[in-house]
Amino acid sequence: MRALLSVFLHVARGERTGLTRGAVLSVVTLLAGVGLLGLSGWFILAAAAAGLAGTGATFDVFRPGAMVRLLAFGRTTARYGERVFTHDATLRVLAGLRVRLLQHLAAAPFSRLERLRGALALNRLTADVDALDGITLRLVLPLGAAVLTQAVAALLLAWLATPAVALWLLAVHLMGGVAVLALGIRAAATPARLAERAGQALRARTVDLIRARDDLAVAGRLSTQEAHAMAADQRRRALRLRIDRIERGAGLALSLTSLAAVGGALALGLDALRAGQISAATAAIGPFAALGLAETLMPLRRAVAEVGRMADAARRVAPDLRPVPTAPAMARPAADAAQGLEIQGLAYCRAGATRAVVEGFSLTLHPGETVALTGPSGAGKSTILALAAGLITPDAGTITLAGAPLDNWPESALRTHLGLLPQRAALVGGSLRENLALAAPDADDATMQAALEQVMLWPAVAGRGGLDLRLADRGAGLSGGEARRLAIARVLLRRPEVLLLDEPTEGIDAETASRLLANLRAELPRTAIAVAAHRPLERDWADRCVTLS
Amino acid sequence: MSPPAPPPPIARPLARLTAGSDRALRTAGWLTALAALLWLPQAAVLAQALAAALHGHPPAALPTVAAFVGFGALRAILSYLAEGRLYLVADTVAATARAHLVAREARRGGTAPAGPGAIAALVAEKIDLLTPYLTRYAPARARVMVVTPVILLISFAQSWAVGLVLLVSGPLIPVFQALVGMAAKEASQRQMTEIASLNDMLVDRLSALPDMRLMAATGRLVAGLRDRSDSLRVRTMEVLRIAFLSSAVLEFFAAIGVAMVAVWCGFALLGALGWGSWGHSISAFGALWVLLLAPDFYLPLRDLSAAWHDKAAAEAVAEELAELEQGPNRPILGQGQATAPLPGPATLRLQGVVVQTGMRRITYPDVTVAPGESLAVTGPSGAGKTTLLRLIAGLAAPESGRIEVAGRALGDATADAWRARIGWMPQGPWFLDASLRANLTLGRDGDIDAALEAAAGTAVVAAMPRGLATRLGEAGAGLSGGEARRMALARALHAGPDLILADEPTADLDDVTAAAVIDGLMAQAARGATLIVATHDPRLIARMDKTLAVGEAA
Repeated sequence: MRALLSVFLHVARGERTGLTRGAVLSVVTLLAGVGLLGLSGWFILAAAAAGLAGTGATFDVFRPGAMVRLLAFGRTTARYGERVFTHDATLRVLAGLRVRLLQHLAAAPFSRLERLRGALALNRLTADVDALDGITLRLVLPLGAAVLTQAVAALLLAWLATPAVALWLLAVHLMGGVAVLALGIRAAATPARLAERAGQALRARTVDLIRARDDLAVAGRLSTQEAHAMAADQRRRALRLRIDRIERGAGLALSLTSLAAVGGALALGLDALRAGQISAATAAIGPFAALGLAETLMPLRRAVAEVGRMADAARRVAPDLRPVPTAPAMARPAADAAQGLEIQGLAYCRAGATRAVVEGFSLTLHPGETVALTGPSGAGKSTILALAAGLITPDAGTITLAGAPLDNWPESALRTHLGLLPQRAALVGGSLRENLALAAPDADDATMQAALEQVMLWPAVAGRGGLDLRLADRGAGLSGGEARRLAIARVLLRRPEVLLLDEPTEGIDAETASRLLANLRAELPRTAIAVAAHRPLERDWADRCVTLS
Repeated sequence: MSPPAPPPPIARPLARLTAGSDRALRTAGWLTALAALLWLPQAAVLAQALAAALHGHPPAALPTVAAFVGFGALRAILSYLAEGRLYLVADTVAATARAHLVAREARRGGTAPAGPGAIAALVAEKIDLLTPYLTRYAPARARVMVVTPVILLISFAQSWAVGLVLLVSGPLIPVFQALVGMAAKEASQRQMTEIASLNDMLVDRLSALPDMRLMAATGRLVAGLRDRSDSLRVRTMEVLRIAFLSSAVLEFFAAIGVAMVAVWCGFALLGALGWGSWGHSISAFGALWVLLLAPDFYLPLRDLSAAWHDKAAAEAVAEELAELEQGPNRPILGQGQATAPLPGPATLRLQGVVVQTGMRRITYPDVTVAPGESLAVTGPSGAGKTTLLRLIAGLAAPESGRIEVAGRALGDATADAWRARIGWMPQGPWFLDASLRANLTLGRDGDIDAALEAAAGTAVVAAMPRGLATRLGEAGAGLSGGEARRMALARALHAGPDLILADEPTADLDDVTAAAVIDGLMAQAARGATLIVATHDPRLIARMDKTLAVGEAA
């Protein structure tokens, strides 16, 4: 509930004008509906009374008639305006929220990014944010408008009909509405949250089942994993059935509340009439207005059904509502170009692991020098590069970049000074130009083409559209070796002072790979390069080798 | 033999999905119509009481209110029950569709036309779009067929003028809905395209997020999302404006209709109008009653108009499901269940095996592999090495020819028992969203430590954050390429298989790791297991007993 409130306040602060206009029009809509019914009922009975009394000629039919038409037209227009204002305001806030969530995600530690399940993170960004639109549109605004409408209607009824009727309608609607809302939300919140979780499990297990179907079939686990996925479906169905029952129960209770309101208004009207306090036409105003007021209760049914899902989404999103922390304004350290990368006594152990990946590692890397890190897979080559690039924090030891400790480097200056080609570099969908522009937004076509020539990729793509060659999602459309060369071109375009390469020539044939590496060195003569090498040609390229065990 | 012609498209896919539930839907639909009809006596009680009061004989409050509330309560309870039945029907239809889809896609033998993400989206979300259609469309149609004509008849009986107002204005609702609907459809398609492309872009960029950070490109990524988000908002508002406008137009006709009824009744009761009723003037009761009924004349028409959108959405889902079902589909052999291993020596014999993958036909040379033998399957990439391994495991069925395992034909009856003897090492292992232990055992009995030892993976596990309890990311994040390969080997060796099928087990591995993997495999051969590896690694081919060349060489 607190999370719901903080999301609503965030929305309200962002789009105060739009929401206020929407709320006002929403009350106008509801009041016009109540007025339309009340006035029509009164008008017919008053006209009939006048007809019976033979005073039909003097009865003013035009003003009530015009009023009926005005209310009918005004109600339609106000509702249209209300919907446009509130939806526009809500969508604006949600778009902003989506951006902010991405900013938080982008600033998360690297270890979290690596484990990020693309689909799951996307789900949070889209499904959760979409669920939040209900907080304004289907919870707070309808509730606020309902209470305000009830209050205004009670005042008008006390004046036009009788205070007793006004009081009765206000009391019945408020008590019924509050009771249904409180009980319904309490009953539905937990199943809604669990149903959401079951849905996530169903999605993840289905992906696993389809992706790993060969592995599972050979292990004889296809049926088991299928049953596992379907169990999540069963659980979600059972929970949704419960939510549906609660929702229908809320609908039933609201219908009965409305019935009590109309029935009571009728009884009070008839009593007042018998006591001679009011005319038959005035007695009709109460029950007719009560029929109109039923409309204020209707949104509560949906609110009961959805509030659990909204609260769940809000709980996940609320922590990221705060503005993204801007990195402390650190000055770029006075870099000493004559110094490259200096590593002393480095140690790193994955959290909870019993064996250190890196222990007591030291290395001095001078500008213009190439050092190959060799050793069997799992010896810690990639980990050392990740530590040197500041992606993970060492347990012990110091890393000095251009004479300044790595910790003193602000993120942006660090990324400009130091480049890292990861083992599994990810490309994105779009043209080659778009892929390269991610690394170097200001590079022109000639520069990009030159980079592609240096990494020996240009001949392979020149005939396929060159820089305009479009790649599908995740860079699909290039062979493994071509994708690798594009990733190298990306890091080359950034022209770093220190370059860390993790198995750069994997998937590239030996001749191309040797020429590519030679070009790389020729293009970046002063750059300090460390390469995690597993091919002889990479070791041969280096000035010296450091072997890890 | 030419590839089989595609089957004809499935006619009316939505009707086929709901075929078993038509009766239940109809019954529940009539139930909601019955509930809506109860408003007639309920409104009559109210109108009668007020009309009697007008004539100076106010009725006793208690029986009047009791009758009004009684009819109303009955109506509310009937609605409650009818909605419950509708929900159950919809739930069953959706659950059946999900179960069918999952069972079929899990056992698809060839490449699927839809990826895992698309199938998961269908299962977890899109099939749910059937529910609004099922719970709203049929009942709205029943109410249009029952409630609307009954109220029209009553109105005509009271006054032909009122009846005429309803008769003329009523049909305007579906007509305008159709006109606005066409504009809405176009705008909503533009919006759907925008949503799809925004989501695709997000998934794409999110999986490259670490690279984005390394290239200091996250700022540009966020700016890109902001632009796309804004353009999506503009499109969405376009769609919503049309939707709101259409519902406003419908509401406007209904409201104007009711207002005209009210004004005509008022004038008639005043005695100012001499026309519109049958001889005598309309009674106060009649006027109040038709006024109370008029909104409910329009309501079913508006409900049905709204349900048209639900129907369109449900039809789109049904078509997507039908398309998936129609694609070429040869299921795997057997069910993929755990069962007792096939008895007898694990001899393997291929005779005249031909397979059709996509547009290509592959003919395999005949071969016999005796228990304990090791065979290298070689050939250029794309020659069908992986397909051969899948054929041997019964994960795909040959177009023609015979595969004999342990002296029996490999088929639906023998595949599960045959696979119980196989260790499977794919080129790109997929790690389930579960612990490393669960990923290695896959629920089978066996000695996990021995398997890790044999796969040179003990040290890999020791360096994991929580050892065997570590949860892995989707493509084995947290494991290097070589580590993932060793885990895949440990998984294959875990159940002590008699036959090991390994796809490119040493590709992209450094010498030391490749040697460890090869030694692990050879140790299994020494133990007496049959070894079949698809490879073009000379280091591995040299250690095998014989070689089978597939593709052009064959």
